[in-house]
Amino acid sequence: MRTVLDARDVWFRYGSTDALRGVDLRVDAGECVALLGANGAGKTTLVNLATGLLSARHGALRTAGGDPRRAAVRRHLGVVQQSFGLPKALKVRELVTGAAVRCGRPAATAGPVLAELGLGELAGRGAAELSGGQQQRVRLAMALVNEPALLILDEPTAGLDVSARRHFRRVVERRRAEGTGVLVTTHLIEEAAAVADRIVVVDHGAVLADEPPGALANRLPDRTVTARTSLSRSGLNRLPGVISVEMRGTTVRLGTRAPEALLRELLDADPGVSDLRVEGAGLEESVVALTDAAAPGNGTEEPEVAL
Amino acid sequence: MSGMTGVSARNRVLLGAVLRVEIADELRSILREPTALLFSVLMPVGFFALFVSIFGGYDAGAIPAGTRMLATFGTFGVLSVTLMNPGVGVAQDRELGWLRAKRVSAVPVGVTLLAKIAAALPYAVGVLVAMTVTAALTGSLSASPAELLRVLGVLLVGSVPFALFGVAVGFRLRANAAAAVLNAVLMPAAVFSGLWMPLRMLPDFFADVAILLPTHHLARLALAQLDGGQVFGHVAVLLGSTAVAATAAGLSYRYARL
Repeated sequence: MRTVLDARDVWFRYGSTDALRGVDLRVDAGECVALLGANGAGKTTLVNLATGLLSARHGALRTAGGDPRRAAVRRHLGVVQQSFGLPKALKVRELVTGAAVRCGRPAATAGPVLAELGLGELAGRGAAELSGGQQQRVRLAMALVNEPALLILDEPTAGLDVSARRHFRRVVERRRAEGTGVLVTTHLIEEAAAVADRIVVVDHGAVLADEPPGALANRLPDRTVTARTSLSRSGLNRLPGVISVEMRGTTVRLGTRAPEALLRELLDADPGVSDLRVEGAGLEESVVALTDAAAPGNGTEEPEVAL
Repeated sequence: MSGMTGVSARNRVLLGAVLRVEIADELRSILREPTALLFSVLMPVGFFALFVSIFGGYDAGAIPAGTRMLATFGTFGVLSVTLMNPGVGVAQDRELGWLRAKRVSAVPVGVTLLAKIAAALPYAVGVLVAMTVTAALTGSLSASPAELLRVLGVLLVGSVPFALFGVAVGFRLRANAAAAVLNAVLMPAAVFSGLWMPLRMLPDFFADVAILLPTHHLARLALAQLDGGQVFGHVAVLLGSTAVAATAAGLSYRYARL
């Protein structure tokens, strides 16, 4: 499988602050990797390095087979940047054909991309007349018009409604199926889980985890047993293996690390129990646990220790 | 060797196409939102019309004052376009994130700047043509077409260091601040360089300052196309100014927050 983004032991510093600390990251052709982290975690710095806007202080980073600081390499990237406005005076068609020509493609390549993104009818409109979702579609069209080897999306669905978000994901999914590697940065866990083959959790400039969403969700041993029961809170607390109890009417959520034993005891204590369900702790809890463990002051700042 | 030549030729073709797109985008932006540039064009032409109608017939030596004013007011008119428009445009693009987007999409910054300067030139030509017509209408035009073309050429080429200075400011400041700073530079420079009123009508102190200003040397160089005055000293100052402005623009870009 061809690798379209390969970062090895990348360090970057703003002043005296290490924004990235030995980051390793790989994206293969046809793969979608989500870079997940809070604001200030280092996601945008990594994007800036991958798009040649910054140079790593230490380490090696290659995109589309070369150094992204070289213009010839950047012509194989498609980038939707965070907070990048469109010139108000230009029309949609002009923006997309301009993006094609700037990457060395014929202006005519804009037509199919405009159609793919449902921008055909808006092609004659000025950027100032577009809604936020339409503007984001134009940005995506500009990023796709050169058929990039690597598509980099920096918080691409921020501010989009559900329908626009779905449309955006469908287009990205189609391109990925055609072999484009995709790196998407987001601080939305459900967004990462919806689009990515792998989720890379970054925090304070370090990679805390690099796993498929399912594996990441199953990191925590905690399980939740949900059921309808007539047992009281004190009765539930007495059950073996229970570490937390939430009650909403007769529906209870019991946290446990030994779900099988708990289920046996629960059925013994209340033969009338119903609507039984056992679930993992979930992606969000796993990510929160990872970042909490790595937080400064917990004595586990190095990712190796946190994991 | 032939492979390298092939790559180089392909790059030239690509850069040519990119430059055409950049110039087209700049011209569209100006045409569709012309307010700022209209101010840059109308104000100097309006000033010229006022002054030339009052003083244009005065005998200022071998040529009428109105014709000499084409060089001096023309300098102000051309600079009001070429100093302001590329610089403020760069600041606007930077604020929008558009400059950053272009850099990521592999457009050399030199192409972007060249396009901004090139797109301003038709308007600078328009200013000079409007001034020439005004001078002719007031009966104070006494220059051959060749002389007028030389004045035009000198002012357009000579405006390059000023455009670079505007760009240097645009890389550092927000658009509104850049416009304010560039106006604050242009207006006093115009007065002290004798662009609005001849230096001989002003206190001696003005002439002492004028000799230090590239705006004065550009006006004198333009004037030399009409009265045959010396050019080498003025050319040297403008070449030096170009080197300084280009260095400033380069450094400003290097440290700009795109």
